[in-house]
Amino acid sequence: MKIEFTLNGAPVTVEAPARTTLLALLRDYLNLTGAKEGCGVGECGACSVLLDGQLVNSCLALAPEAHGGEVITIEGIHAPDGGPNDLQIALVDYGAVQCGYCTPGMVMAAEALLMRNLNPTRAEIRAALAGNLCRCTGYVQIIDAIEAVARERRTHHGEHGEHGEHGER
Amino acid sequence: MSEPNPNLTYVGKPARNVDGIDKAMGRARYVADMRVPGMLHAAALYSTQPHARIVALDVGPALAMPGVAAAVTAGDFVDQGRWGWPIKDTHMLAFERVRCVGDAIAAVAAETREQARQAVRAIKLELEALPGVFDPAEALEPGAPPIPEKPSEHGAHAGKWNLAETLIVRNGDPDLILDECDIVLDETYTFGHQEHAYLETEAALAIPHADGSLTVYNNCQSPFIARGHLVTVLGLPEDKIQVIQAAVGGGFGGKDDAVYKISGQAAALALKTGRPVLLTLTREESIVTSYKRQASAIRLRIGMDADGRLRAARANLLVDSGAYASVTPLVGWRASMHAAGAYRYEAVHVDTDVVYTNNGYSGAFRGFGNIQAGAAIEQAIDELAERAGIDPIDFRLKNALRPGDRAMTGNVIAHEIGLSACLEWVRAASDWDRKRAEYLPSPPSPLSHKGRGGIRRGIGAACYFHGSSLGAEGADYAGCTVTIENDYGVTLTAGLTDIGQGSRTVYTLIAAEALGVRPARIKVLRPDTETMIESGPTSASRATLVGGNAMRAAGLKLDRLLRWAAADLFHCAPAQVIRDGEHYVGPAEEPARFEAVVDHARALGLTLSASAKWGVPGFKWDFETGAGQPYFCYVFGAQVAEVEVNIDTGETRVLGVWAAHDGGTIIFPQGAAGQMFGGIAQGIGYALMEDIRFDRGYLHDVNFDNYLIPTAADLPDIQGHYVETNFPHGPHGAKNLAEPVMIGAAPAIANALYQATGRRYRHIPVTLERVRLGYDLTRPGSERTCRAALGFGE
Repeated sequence: MKIEFTLNGAPVTVEAPARTTLLALLRDYLNLTGAKEGCGVGECGACSVLLDGQLVNSCLALAPEAHGGEVITIEGIHAPDGGPNDLQIALVDYGAVQCGYCTPGMVMAAEALLMRNLNPTRAEIRAALAGNLCRCTGYVQIIDAIEAVARERRTHHGEHGEHGEHGER
Repeated sequence: MSEPNPNLTYVGKPARNVDGIDKAMGRARYVADMRVPGMLHAAALYSTQPHARIVALDVGPALAMPGVAAAVTAGDFVDQGRWGWPIKDTHMLAFERVRCVGDAIAAVAAETREQARQAVRAIKLELEALPGVFDPAEALEPGAPPIPEKPSEHGAHAGKWNLAETLIVRNGDPDLILDECDIVLDETYTFGHQEHAYLETEAALAIPHADGSLTVYNNCQSPFIARGHLVTVLGLPEDKIQVIQAAVGGGFGGKDDAVYKISGQAAALALKTGRPVLLTLTREESIVTSYKRQASAIRLRIGMDADGRLRAARANLLVDSGAYASVTPLVGWRASMHAAGAYRYEAVHVDTDVVYTNNGYSGAFRGFGNIQAGAAIEQAIDELAERAGIDPIDFRLKNALRPGDRAMTGNVIAHEIGLSACLEWVRAASDWDRKRAEYLPSPPSPLSHKGRGGIRRGIGAACYFHGSSLGAEGADYAGCTVTIENDYGVTLTAGLTDIGQGSRTVYTLIAAEALGVRPARIKVLRPDTETMIESGPTSASRATLVGGNAMRAAGLKLDRLLRWAAADLFHCAPAQVIRDGEHYVGPAEEPARFEAVVDHARALGLTLSASAKWGVPGFKWDFETGAGQPYFCYVFGAQVAEVEVNIDTGETRVLGVWAAHDGGTIIFPQGAAGQMFGGIAQGIGYALMEDIRFDRGYLHDVNFDNYLIPTAADLPDIQGHYVETNFPHGPHGAKNLAEPVMIGAAPAIANALYQATGRRYRHIPVTLERVRLGYDLTRPGSERTCRAALGFGE
């Protein structure tokens, strides 16, 4: 079937079987390999994307669910100049990236949290990341980085308008 | 963490993981992200029986399926694909028999992954069930079903077909001393299997070339080991096989065996079809078919004086290797070398049996035997401290190894030992003395469905030592190269690889320090068997210590050349040249840019490329007599865990972990902290929830919906500290940390649980059910679960 949606700000049309998962659509039909398959059953969050502003496991969503909607993947998260945004830089600066396989999903989960709460407690950050498994870091530095970015974005809120959001949406 | 060394510019200072930005932007390329023109997708047929004879195997029907290009079986490899190290007891694809659930039997390549999976289901396979053995003790009894094709050397010697290896320590005579001791503890501690649960499953992409050569991209830990096994089973010479390591999504020891099997299967299909073949595993396939941390039973008999001075220990270890040895004989060796812990004894004997069963198979996993050994001895030490009436940390301090002491294996440790400093740090940081007094005493919690125990807290401690690098397991060396490119960038190769732990960043910082250039100038090339120096396995937490020494040596060689060129430029002696940032400055204080010195060096005809190898200084362990020196140095550490237990539900929350580690100098602080936090997180999972149970060889937990690993919501904040003792043989004084930082968590939690519940569980993991009921609920593994996991769901 024909699936049309907005992907990282640009309209796309893909012909794919109706039972294709959104993850397979992104990776195999659109060659966007930033979202990873970690478990295929919606437990690990490595495939996290934003669908109409909601964090979803793209391995569980069927591609037709995106029809007419807006999908943002890790490839759509960056600074206006195409480089890393503040969150991506903070994750690296805090040592929160090791093997990196969970990192794209962590970025999506963190952005989803910060869209609705720019002043999260550490417990709220932990809860927001609970659907994203990381086997390398023990999460401490991921939480530190998100906390720091939230602080920074609060400080600059209003000053830079869209600063720190999804870059070129 | 400790203060950075003011004499160092890059080492020990905050730094960015060199791959971090690419990974955070989703740009890093893992094997499964690769797309090559004409690429086929592969899938494999796996055994759904724990032990069976292959009566009939016909891939013909699979070949007739849509999109299928080829299928391979054992016969497509040299010597039926027989491989394995140190015991050659396995096959790239099962030959004549399957010996565990998840044994790969045949592999198919097709145009799409779905077609390959469909074709696998069409393969005609007839299995005739053979009796299995699932208890390691029973596996050693006469008449037990034989598992390996032939007994190992040790097995043959002992007349026990399923005995893979026996390992011993003989330091003095503990029996005489144990008879004299006022207090003798005699307890057995048991351990379940643990899954590595790297987020990226195993994958390989094999690309054949017109000249008959082959390039394999995979997510292995050790590309040269991969090449060696491929040479063995494909019959191609070394120079026809190139292995390139893609970005690796976590390893923890788990990508140093099964990935080689997958690489072999993909390679055979690529050679047969003449087309690139990508083989990736689903999570279920990964969990069912990959190796685990060994289930083990450790009996400890330890004697002490009435005043709490340890005197002698005897340890008996029974280690379940499963269907294949993999490196479990070496795991058993490392466990044996640490079984009595980081304490002074007059005599210690250890006897370890590594045994074949039909319980999947086991192999390398972070800690490599010292996770189990450390958790056993540290629970035992807590029990001894209680019997002596001494605070657990005081008891450890009283008996802990100090510089110049003999380790339990009888060898003198000559270098600095930060163990006591680690214990003192965790005691202060955790507010141990106050909490320990406040949470005492706990009468045993009720073990019944009706009990009302409420919420209780406890705090527990553990410490550890861990022999650095491979020790007597094998040749212990690494090689690196440093090259200045035409654009004045610096490229590095390292034979020991980065599987996520950050060694590419460590190498960058060490090379930057040696050459006096900014890390931004440096790029670490992808590990490639055609460009890097053969360095053995990336294992044993040796990338910083051994690889780092090689990198520093290569960097210093190049630095010497450049200083000489700068001296020539300045018409002075090399010793008169000093550095100001990247600039070279001569006696007349004229600065020359790095680029100018490089240009001058080139004009002088100097080769601006250097390589170096570094090998661990000599020592000897005698496996026959069980004596000698097992390692050239050790690291040490201590951890405290605080828990809160809901006695009514059995739920345990870890409220905090305080960890101190003596790993020598810290090179990459954020990376080191991440290793510590991540290791402790794996230790918390191991302590409380992670348990791959084999039920007559069948698994119950085949994905993350059943096999639970800690989430962000399950874990506490962790306070870490490094005691940076002086160690002259490491790069800038660095030793190692990646594996040992995991050791303390599980026993510290078990000991904290004892304070909270008044019960000694003596089994890891201490699951919710064990806390609540005193035993684990059965979670029956079944053929049905495993069939569904392996592609045969209804």
